[in-house]
Amino acid sequence: MMKLRSRKTIGGLALAVASLTALAACSSSGSGSASPTSTAGAVTQPGSIGAIPAAGTPSGKAGSITYGYQSSNAPNWIFPITTAAANSVYNSFVFDWQMWRPLYYYPQGTTITVDQQLSPVAPPVWSNGDKTMSITLKGWKWSNGQTISSKDLLFTMDEIAAAVKASPANWASYVPGFFPSTITSMSTPNAKTLVVNMKSAVNPTWMEQDILSAIMIMPAAEWAKDSASGPTLDFTNPANALKIFNYLTAQAKSVNTYATNPLWQTVYGPYKLTSFNATTGAFSFAPNPAYSGPHANPMSKFVGVPFTSNAAQFNAIKSGSVDVAAVPPEDNPQIPTLKGAGYNYFGIPAFGDYFVSYNFMNKTGNFDKIVAQLYFRQAMQHLEDQEGQIKAYFNGDGVPGYTTVAQYPPTPFYPSNAKTNPYAFSVSTAVSVLKAHGWNVVPNGTDTCAHAGTGPGECGAGIPAGTKLAFNLIYNTTPPIPQEVTNLASNAKQAGIQITLSGSNFNYMIQNYNDAASPANANKWAAEDFGGEGFTPYPTAFGFLNTNGSGQIGNYSNPTADSLINSSITSPNPQAVTNELAFFATNLPVLWQPLRDHTYAWKTNVSSTQPEAFENLTQYTVTPEFWYLTK
Amino acid sequence: MTAYLLRRLGTSIIVLIGISIFIFLLLHAIFPSPARVVLGLRTNNAAIAAWNKQNGFDDPVIVQYLRYMNNLLHGNFGYSYAENQTVASLFAERLARSIYLSGISLLIAILIALPLGIFQAVKRNTLGDNIATSIAFILYSMPVFFLGLILIQVFALSFPIFNFEASQSTNVFVVIGDWHSMFLPVLTLVLLTVANFSRYMRSSSIDVLAQDYIKVARAKGLPERLVLSRHMVRNASLPMITLIGLFLPALLAGNLIVETLFNYQGLGLLFYNSLGKEDYPVMLAYTLLGAVFVLLGNLVADIALTVADPRIRLA
Repeated sequence: MMKLRSRKTIGGLALAVASLTALAACSSSGSGSASPTSTAGAVTQPGSIGAIPAAGTPSGKAGSITYGYQSSNAPNWIFPITTAAANSVYNSFVFDWQMWRPLYYYPQGTTITVDQQLSPVAPPVWSNGDKTMSITLKGWKWSNGQTISSKDLLFTMDEIAAAVKASPANWASYVPGFFPSTITSMSTPNAKTLVVNMKSAVNPTWMEQDILSAIMIMPAAEWAKDSASGPTLDFTNPANALKIFNYLTAQAKSVNTYATNPLWQTVYGPYKLTSFNATTGAFSFAPNPAYSGPHANPMSKFVGVPFTSNAAQFNAIKSGSVDVAAVPPEDNPQIPTLKGAGYNYFGIPAFGDYFVSYNFMNKTGNFDKIVAQLYFRQAMQHLEDQEGQIKAYFNGDGVPGYTTVAQYPPTPFYPSNAKTNPYAFSVSTAVSVLKAHGWNVVPNGTDTCAHAGTGPGECGAGIPAGTKLAFNLIYNTTPPIPQEVTNLASNAKQAGIQITLSGSNFNYMIQNYNDAASPANANKWAAEDFGGEGFTPYPTAFGFLNTNGSGQIGNYSNPTADSLINSSITSPNPQAVTNELAFFATNLPVLWQPLRDHTYAWKTNVSSTQPEAFENLTQYTVTPEFWYLTK
Repeated sequence: MTAYLLRRLGTSIIVLIGISIFIFLLLHAIFPSPARVVLGLRTNNAAIAAWNKQNGFDDPVIVQYLRYMNNLLHGNFGYSYAENQTVASLFAERLARSIYLSGISLLIAILIALPLGIFQAVKRNTLGDNIATSIAFILYSMPVFFLGLILIQVFALSFPIFNFEASQSTNVFVVIGDWHSMFLPVLTLVLLTVANFSRYMRSSSIDVLAQDYIKVARAKGLPERLVLSRHMVRNASLPMITLIGLFLPALLAGNLIVETLFNYQGLGLLFYNSLGKEDYPVMLAYTLLGAVFVLLGNLVADIALTVADPRIRLA
C-alpha cells in the first residue's frame, strides 16, 4: 500500500480526494456502470467528472509546464530506496519517478494496472514453482549514456536487502518474511538479466504489481561507494552494501543539495532535477535527453509550484497562473467555471477505499459478540446511503464502494458480485434483518435482543437477552466525514440502532483507537472512521484485513479471509485477489463508504500525446513527458 | 537597571525551563511516540520499534527531556524527521520572511493607527470619527481569511492590479523589493491591526484628554497643537507600548492564516504543518522560541515604558 500523505495529514477522505472535470457541463454521478467511452475525441469514465481530450501531436514547441501541489507535501526524500517515514505519493510518484521509473510503472491512466511501455524492464518470467524470477532489462540508458545493466539491478536488490536488514523501516515496501528476506541467491547470467531465487513461492502478480513496482534501479558505477571521493565498493559484500546505504541515505538527508549533488544527476527517467528549494518545495525538472521511454517530442520542462493552502491553489487556477493542479474538494461547485477560465478538467476517485472500521475486541455492551455476527454488519451496510452521500456531500462527484477497492477507476481484478451494491441502502431491509435474528426493533429508540441463542431467529453467540444495539463511533472531523457518519447514525436510528458520535483527528485515532497500537483502549471504541487507504495495482488486503495484519485496526479475523489473502500473495493464480475482493464485498469486515472524485484541471493550451497522462493525475502519478504546449 | 535586567533574565530562564518541561510532558502524554503517524498505518511493530530506538523514543521521558535540553544548550534544536532537515535550518529559512511580513505590517499599522486614534479622540463623535469607527468595527469583526479572500478576489482576480500570492523568493531582500506581490498580504494584516490599535489609541486618548493636567495646559493658554503633542500623545501611548510589546511574538509566529492564504512560506505555516505531522522537534523548538519572544516582548515593553514615562521606575 502506498501511503497518501495528503490523506494522512488531513485525515482521509476529504483531502485526498478531490475531483476534476471538465468538459463542459458533463458532470456525472458515481453510479455509472458502463465502460469507458470516447465521445467526440474525449475520453470519459463511469463515475468520473469531466473528460480527457483526445491525444494530440506536438507542433515542435517546448516550454515549461507548471504543476501545482500542496507545500505540506513538498518532496523531502530523493534516494530511490524510500523509507517508511518518507513514504508518500509526492516523494515517489511526483518526484522520484521523474528521475527513476519503477521496474513496473503504474497506473495506465485510469486503468489500475502496470503500464509496460513506461517500465524499464520486461514482465518477469517465473519458474521453479514461482520461486525464481528472471527480470530482463529493455536496454534503457542512464543519463550518462551508459546502458542500464543487470549489475545495476543486482546493486539495487543488494542495497534494499542491506536496508531492511538494518531496519525494517528503511524500505517502505518491505513486508516482513517476504522479499528481500526470502532471497536465497541472485545471479546475472548476462548484461540484461537478473535472476532471483527465493526460498518460497510468491504470487507472481502480487510480486510484480505491489513489490517490484516500488523498486527503482540505482546506478552501481556511480553510487556503490561510501564517500564522495571513495573507491567503488563490492556491494555484494553485505557489510559494504550497508556502508553504501548509509552513505546514500546521509546524502538524501541533505535536502538543500538535491539539485546540486552529482549523485542524483545519474537518472534514467524522463527528467533531471535542475532546481529544488527546500524551503518552499518548489522544484524544476529539465528533460533527460537520454530518456529511452516514450515521450512527447520535444519535451517541456516540468516545474513544481507549491501552494500553502487549497485556497491559494485554487486562486492560482482562477488567475491562470498554474498549468496543472488539483481542484480542492471544497471548490467542486466551482468546477464548471473552470472551462471559462481556460482549463480542462477530469476527476475520478483514487484507487482505494473508504470505510468505517469495527472493533471486534470491544466488549462494552457485548459489542464484540454483536459485530461478529454477519447479519449485523449486513444490516449496518444497508443503512449506509452511499448514493445519497455522493449527491449530498460530494457534489455528485464520486463512486460507491462495495469492497476493498471501488469499481472505478477500473481494475482487472474487480469481482462480479460487487458490480451492484450487495447491500443496497434500505432502512426497512435493515430492520427486517435485525428482526429475523431475534432483535426487538424500536425505530428511533434502542433495539434489544429478544431471543438469545445461536439458532435461527436468535441473536447469536454470546449475546444475552436484553442486550442493546448501542455503540460509539469515533470519527475524523475533516469534512465530509462528519456529515457521512451523521447520516449513517441518523439512518441507524430509524432502525433502532443508537450510534453515539464523537469527533477526533486522524493522528490521534490511528494511535489510540487501534487495537494493536493501544490494546488498553479496546473497550473505548466500537467503530471509527478515519478516512481510507490507497492501494497498489494488485489490491490485496494483506496487512489490512488478515489476522494480526500490521495495518489491522479492529482485529477483524476470519479464516476464509486469511486463506484468500494468503492465496493472493502466494498462489500461482494471477487473479487470486479477485476472490478476496469478492469475499470482502459480502463478508463486510468494515462498513464500506463512497469515494470522492480526485479532480485535476489543466490549461487548454496543455495537451498530451497520450490521454493517460492526464488520467494519471487522478491517481497521484504524474507523467509530464507526454505533455506539450499548443501555443 | 542592570540589577533589574539580571533579575528578569533569571526569571525568564526559570519560566522557559518550566515551559519546556510542560510542553515536553504534554506532547509525550498525548503521543508517547509519533512512530505510527510517521511510518504509516500498516507499519509493523518491528519497524516501529526500530524507529523508536533510532529516534530515542524508547528511552524514559526524563532521559529524552534531558537529552533534548542538552542538545538545546549546544545549539542543536533537533532534526525534523518529517521534513528531513534540521530544525535550525527550517527556522533559518523562514524566520526572516515571517519577521518581515509581521514586522512591516506592524510598523505600518502603528504609523496609521496612532494618529488615527488621536484624531478620533480629538474629533470625538464627529462624522470623521463615526466613519473611522464604523470601518474599524467592520474590519475588526472580519475574519482574516475572509478579508484576505475579498482582497484577492477584487485586487488580484477581478482587477489584476496585484499578485494573488506573496513573493515566492526565499531571499528576504527580494521579498522586500517585490511590493507587487507583498502588497495584499501586508494590507490584510495592516487593516486588521489598524482596526485593533486605533480603537485602543482612541480610548486611551479620550481618557487622557479628560485628565486635569490637560485642562490646566489648556487653561494656561497653551496652543492645542502643543497640548496634544506634549501632554496627550505621550501619555496616551503608554498602553499602546504594552500592547505592541505583546505583539512581538507575532514576529515569530508569523501570521498563519495570511501565510496560508497568500502562499507564503513562514514560521506559522511550518508550525501548523508540524502539528499535522506530529513533528515533535519542530513543535518543541517553535514553542520555546515563542516563549522567548513573549518574555522578550514584555521586557521590551517594560523598558520602553520607563523611557516614555520617567515616573515609571524599574525595580
